[in-house]
Amino acid sequence: MRICKSFLIIFIVLGFISCEEVVDIDLENSEPRLVVEASILWIKGTNGNRQEIRLSTTSPFYEEEIQPVTNASIIITSEDGDSYVFIHEQDGIYTNEEFQPVLDLEYELELVHDNQVYSATESFESVAGIDYIEQLNGGGFAGDEIELKAFYTDPAEEENYYLFKFTDENVFLELYEDEFTNGNQIFGYFSNEDIEQGDVVGIQMQGISREYYDYLFILRSQIGTNQGGPFETMPAVVKGNIINETNLDNFPLGYFRLSEVDSRTYTVE
Amino acid sequence: MRLLSFLLLVILPVMTNAQEYTLSGRVIDNSSNETLIGVNLIFPDLSTGVVTNDYGYYSIKLPPGKHRVILTYIGYANAEEEVNISENMQQNFQLSEASESLDEVVITSDIEALNIKKPEMSVNRLSIGTIKKIPVVFGEVDVVRSLLLLPGVSNAGEGSSGFNVRGGAVDQNLILLDEATIYNSSHLFGLFSVFNPDAIKDLKLYKGGIPAEYGGRVSSVLDIYQRDGNSREFKMQGGIGAISSRLLAEGPIVKDKGSFLVGARSSYAHLFLKLTDNDNSAYFYDLNTKLSYELDESNKLLLSGYFGRDVFNISQNFENTYGNAVLNLRWNHVFSDNIFTNLSAIYSDYYYGLNLNFVGFNWDSGIRNLNLKYDFNHYISEDFALKYGIHNTYYKFNPGEIAPIDESSGINYFKLNDRYALENALYISAEHKFSEKLSAEYGARLSNFFRLGQDDFNTYVNDEPVAYNPRNGVYSEADILESRNVSRGKSLESFTNLEPRLAIAYNFAEDQSLKVSYNRMAQYLHLISNTSSPTPLDVWTPSGPYIKPQLLDQYAIGYFRNFENGDYSLEVESFYKDIRNRIDYIDGANLIANNAIERVVLNGEARAYGLELLLRKNEGRFTGWLAYTLSRSEQRTPGRNSQESGINNGNWYKTNFDKPHDLTITASYDLNENWDLNANFIYQTGLATTFPTAQYEYEGVNIPVYGVRNEDRLPSYHRLDLSATYYPKKNRGRKLQSSWNFGIYNAYNRQNAYSISFRENMDTGRNEAVRLTLFGIIPSVTYNFKF
Repeated sequence: MRICKSFLIIFIVLGFISCEEVVDIDLENSEPRLVVEASILWIKGTNGNRQEIRLSTTSPFYEEEIQPVTNASIIITSEDGDSYVFIHEQDGIYTNEEFQPVLDLEYELELVHDNQVYSATESFESVAGIDYIEQLNGGGFAGDEIELKAFYTDPAEEENYYLFKFTDENVFLELYEDEFTNGNQIFGYFSNEDIEQGDVVGIQMQGISREYYDYLFILRSQIGTNQGGPFETMPAVVKGNIINETNLDNFPLGYFRLSEVDSRTYTVE
Repeated sequence: MRLLSFLLLVILPVMTNAQEYTLSGRVIDNSSNETLIGVNLIFPDLSTGVVTNDYGYYSIKLPPGKHRVILTYIGYANAEEEVNISENMQQNFQLSEASESLDEVVITSDIEALNIKKPEMSVNRLSIGTIKKIPVVFGEVDVVRSLLLLPGVSNAGEGSSGFNVRGGAVDQNLILLDEATIYNSSHLFGLFSVFNPDAIKDLKLYKGGIPAEYGGRVSSVLDIYQRDGNSREFKMQGGIGAISSRLLAEGPIVKDKGSFLVGARSSYAHLFLKLTDNDNSAYFYDLNTKLSYELDESNKLLLSGYFGRDVFNISQNFENTYGNAVLNLRWNHVFSDNIFTNLSAIYSDYYYGLNLNFVGFNWDSGIRNLNLKYDFNHYISEDFALKYGIHNTYYKFNPGEIAPIDESSGINYFKLNDRYALENALYISAEHKFSEKLSAEYGARLSNFFRLGQDDFNTYVNDEPVAYNPRNGVYSEADILESRNVSRGKSLESFTNLEPRLAIAYNFAEDQSLKVSYNRMAQYLHLISNTSSPTPLDVWTPSGPYIKPQLLDQYAIGYFRNFENGDYSLEVESFYKDIRNRIDYIDGANLIANNAIERVVLNGEARAYGLELLLRKNEGRFTGWLAYTLSRSEQRTPGRNSQESGINNGNWYKTNFDKPHDLTITASYDLNENWDLNANFIYQTGLATTFPTAQYEYEGVNIPVYGVRNEDRLPSYHRLDLSATYYPKKNRGRKLQSSWNFGIYNAYNRQNAYSISFRENMDTGRNEAVRLTLFGIIPSVTYNFKF
């Protein structure tokens, strides 16, 4: 993935006479589809009791407002038989204040909306955690950016998948697997030309499943800002793990997953 | 066997002809002694003729007596000579390059008629002289860019690598440089091609009706021959351009017997450095070499080599090197006047290396092959000639090796398993003139491919390396059942294909003919790439137990006509092709450093059809052509069974290089002795792409939802290029010949969309569409010299 990105950059360097311009393109609108953001996160050092699930529908591409879904009923049941009902608070956010996170335990999501039943099953993924954060000035691809490396030690005995979420003004998702780094101390990498001294960067390291890694991998390839060029990857419908039991074809977008999280904030020096 | 007996039946009657003798020899350039490929030798009184082969050799059976022979060749003055046949004899002919000071022999008979009568169709030939006149970006003469001006040839946009022929993919082109396979034809990611124009003698592009001597790729054959070098006198030539400079030296080793040629080309390393204001560099270089030595009249040795590399270096963090290397030793031998043979031993290598300092690893990958070929041209009678031969190729694929750059790197050493394969082919092809009006080229190639054993060969449940989840309709990598080492002496899987080839020309009226062709071809190698246009990093993978060979059937029909004694010509062709087992990739397929690539690919199919029109003006001060192509190129990958959805719901979708309309006008005007003027105009439908139809927010990120694959289009592409070449007056009568080329690419500065991308504006948070234009108007100056 990283290699791909590097390619893009070289190509941009090469296209030194290229020129970008915002243009008006009329787009067709597809039927709204249900979007489920059911990310149960247990931040290390907290009890993980308060959990949120967000529901919305897709909206026309140029529209700014998110279309919340407010009339669904959501319940999560653990393998042990504990049930947690999520109640709509506002703007499509459903909450439960008594969630009991247990690592490696299986949970089932059940959701009813518009007389259609949706479900998904996942287990709670653990994470090793960040060892330390290193800052390097004069890094980045072009050598003039501040870069941050969040070091962690990969457990050698298992296959691991990680999601790093770097938040400054925007959110950046980085994905890692341990095929070539198994058992080593390695880092999550972030660099951005806009970060400056004094900025506060949120860094989250989340343990994820292989299936969710694959899902995010495709999802991320769809966000790329170079659709249409020779390095374009084919656009795809990003299907998650939530099944519409009533009508398979009317599948929802989004994912149900449970992750342990190591969350830090870093002030750029 | 059936084929053989059929051929024997056909041959026997023509072999029992009356008393005839063989005239054979070579046609050479008079100033350099270099052999000329594709020269027409016409015997107007006998209304017969022959064309020189790839080594400038010809052989023809003639009745005794005195005969006139006329020799014609593009860019050369026609010549007329007389031969007196009383026995088998050898004769070499010499031709001189056309120039205005020489009085050209005026030909009244119909020269081009021979081409009209030949069954060869769907073939484009460009002389290097024509290529050098075509205006190009940055003024850099380029073989592949010139091919794009022909009907049926296109690419996936400016700055994309390779070329697409008749709706075929880039990896389906067989690119041969002196018979050696070139795996990547591009420099600087497709801005330029790897062929140094000064070192090239001749090139031919077969788009269809591909003769049986070629195989291994399903879409086209680009056959390029390097020059042998001047064996009469020492010469140098070169050029200084905006991006690169060239220098080529050639001369005799033994006068009239042996020659050498060394050509080098390099771009300027610091070009990008100044513009980006840091430690970056991007450059390429090429080295072409050739040695040729004529042992005697019937034996000649040729040694040719090519070495090219692209190097990118970005702020010491990233270093990328890639390129081709080939070495070829050939022995031309003539048996008994009418059998010309060529034995080749060829080594080809494509290397890709990457050094990522900031992640801490080196990456190496590549493909190597060793190829032995023995080809025979057998001139049996004036109406019948055979070509036959045997080809063997051994491949070694290195899909990748990752090594940490130092001890502190967090990367472990990892080697993806090498793959090995053996490809064999046996072919026979006849060129047969049935009558004055009807001729045909027919034959067959028997190809056979062994995927050899390797380490860590994987097996899967039900032999299905791709798993499917029917609940959410998602394909994913299947779990590996068992991984075992198989010895290289064992075959994991083998394939055998009989590839019939047929082309017929019917010369139904004066200057007009109708031609039809059919060819089947098999391709055993696949370039693993799921971007719109291949990148140098893409790896080749052999067919095997899980990836089947691509099989093509192509049908073409064409109408050909010469007007005004060949001053104008018209070619109209229509084609349909169908390719089985075209691979496609599951969503989210990770192709980089994937040791089990079969886990992300599915076998699908592809098809393309179209109509091509080429109107040329061949003679006079004003020359040029108009080419128009109307075509469609699609592919689909249905599910493996009725439960599965397939890729893109199993529906046909347009390929990334599908361009329904493609119009090119190329014109050249010879103003006077000092100035040549040239222009191109190009109009093409925008490339197929997919636009979003909705959006949503997930994990704080805005995600677009895409519509049906490749149903949208970029805005149409058009541009005008102009160039003028100036030959100074002082050139006359001196050794140093110089010229200046002034060019303007995209003269009216059309902002052609290279891509339309969609993104969230970081400041406003709104989604917007962004058009990226690669090349606006670009002026250029190039200085060329020769002495």
